[in-house]
Amino acid sequence: MRAGTILRAVWLLVAVGFMLLPVYAMLVVASAPDDTDLRGLVFNGFHLPENIGVLFGEGNLPTYLRNSLVLCVGTGVLDVMFSAAAGYAMAQLSFPGRRVLFALVIGTLALTPMVLVIPVFLIVKELGWVNTFQGMMVPGMISAFGVFLVRQFALGIPKELLLAARVDGAGEFRIFARIAVPLLKPALITLFLVHFLAQWDNLLWPLIVANEQELWPLPVGLANFQSEVGVTYHLTTTAALVTAVPPFILMVALQRYYVAGLTFGGLKR
Amino acid sequence: MSVLGRVRARPQATAGVALTLPVAVFFVVFWLVPFLAAIYLSFTDYEMAGTPNWIGLANYERMFADPGFLNSAWITVVYTVCTVVPTIVLALLVAVPLSKPGRLNRWLRALVMIPAVMPLAATSMVWVIIYSDHGMANTLLGLVGIDPQSWLTSSDLAIWALVVMVVWKSMGLFVIILTAGLQALPGEVYEAAAIDGSGAVTTFTRITLPLLRRTLLFVLVISVAGSMQAFVPAFLLTGGGPADATQVLPYYIWANAFPYEHMGYAAAMGMVLLVAMVIVSALQFGFLKGGDE
Repeated sequence: MRAGTILRAVWLLVAVGFMLLPVYAMLVVASAPDDTDLRGLVFNGFHLPENIGVLFGEGNLPTYLRNSLVLCVGTGVLDVMFSAAAGYAMAQLSFPGRRVLFALVIGTLALTPMVLVIPVFLIVKELGWVNTFQGMMVPGMISAFGVFLVRQFALGIPKELLLAARVDGAGEFRIFARIAVPLLKPALITLFLVHFLAQWDNLLWPLIVANEQELWPLPVGLANFQSEVGVTYHLTTTAALVTAVPPFILMVALQRYYVAGLTFGGLKR
Repeated sequence: MSVLGRVRARPQATAGVALTLPVAVFFVVFWLVPFLAAIYLSFTDYEMAGTPNWIGLANYERMFADPGFLNSAWITVVYTVCTVVPTIVLALLVAVPLSKPGRLNRWLRALVMIPAVMPLAATSMVWVIIYSDHGMANTLLGLVGIDPQSWLTSSDLAIWALVVMVVWKSMGLFVIILTAGLQALPGEVYEAAAIDGSGAVTTFTRITLPLLRRTLLFVLVISVAGSMQAFVPAFLLTGGGPADATQVLPYYIWANAFPYEHMGYAAAMGMVLLVAMVIVSALQFGFLKGGDE
């Protein structure tokens, strides 16, 4: 029994160590003074602050970072607002077209972006939104996942609570804002987090719709980083590290919601 | 009551429509219409410039004579199988001991989240360095006497370089999901098994795996779907090369649609990918449902 416990601890330390090795390599190369050592095994001084200073002093990284933040926070807030309203209504209110809408949401969950990007691009082009923020943001603004997540969560709101409010004479919008939204808070935080992380990683759509460097978010910027004048391997790695910081902070702050979002559907009966 | 019911029904209907209208309009404009348009485009010769002409099944026939498509479809199959299976097996091997209580495990569970939240673009840039000539991969293999390789520029190795990176990236996520699933399993079953003198292997195959089936199905479905639509690793690490060796289907569709503007043809390939994904998902659900009896 004792030997088994020790063996298990050793295996876990080795496995988790291997899982962290590339992260360690990132830290080492991102802190290097120059490009000469790319092994990522041994720290050669700690030049991370200077490297970050270089990236923020010249080049486009601050622009990419700003664009990504605008994109992710902007669409994240909109997704939370619209999904909260629709998810609650679909779970708790009876109105014409409810079934059709639910079928539409479930249907879109199954679609792959590879099918949609071509016609959505043509629509965005028709609207004159190519190379604009609204072109990058609007098509990814609401996710079927979000509406579905809120709906599943809103099914758990006790009917009596809503009924009591109605008997007291509260209007439906007031009930939604004052009773439902506070109860839905955990689901809405989870949705914001999932949305933010997914958009932070979104390369395909901005790549298609934004050709102007001024508009690029981080994934597109990083893809073109090597071709920027004077940018080298260790600074590219520093840029990758900077890109990883906001998701990391969010994850630390909202760890519980992150796990809840990841396991949604996996644990539900 | 019936009067009260009627009085209540109207504001509910108004509020319901008002609260869902933005979402309904959005889904029609950015999901339903594009989906129908994609079906239509797949039967045309649309090339961005000019108007679409109906050409019937010609795009679908062309696909099965197009070496580029056949190559991409095959690479996608290899890539999907070789990323999904090792990821789930390895994640399970880590998650089972990791889900046990203890202070060390609590720390390790927090650490496992770090690779899981690494953005894919950042991950790809780091692995470009790891796979470079004097990078970590060659250095570590050198310690066990393996000659340095050109991971990303060799047409034999590039796909495996991608696979290793993706396995690493998804493992973090799946360890978290599986650990949460394992921690939700009822402890009494394990106590009963221990009293009956069940060994670790028997407990795992007879108790843990069956109880974990729903979580495993979830992980399997999302990882297969993720691998079948994976675009970013091929785009960032290898650009589909060398010599199309890592040109997965999503990459080939993107390349046809945007740089080359063969939108009709790309739409048809997108449809084939969608149908393949639906069939594969249905098979997975059927397979795991079938095991319920």
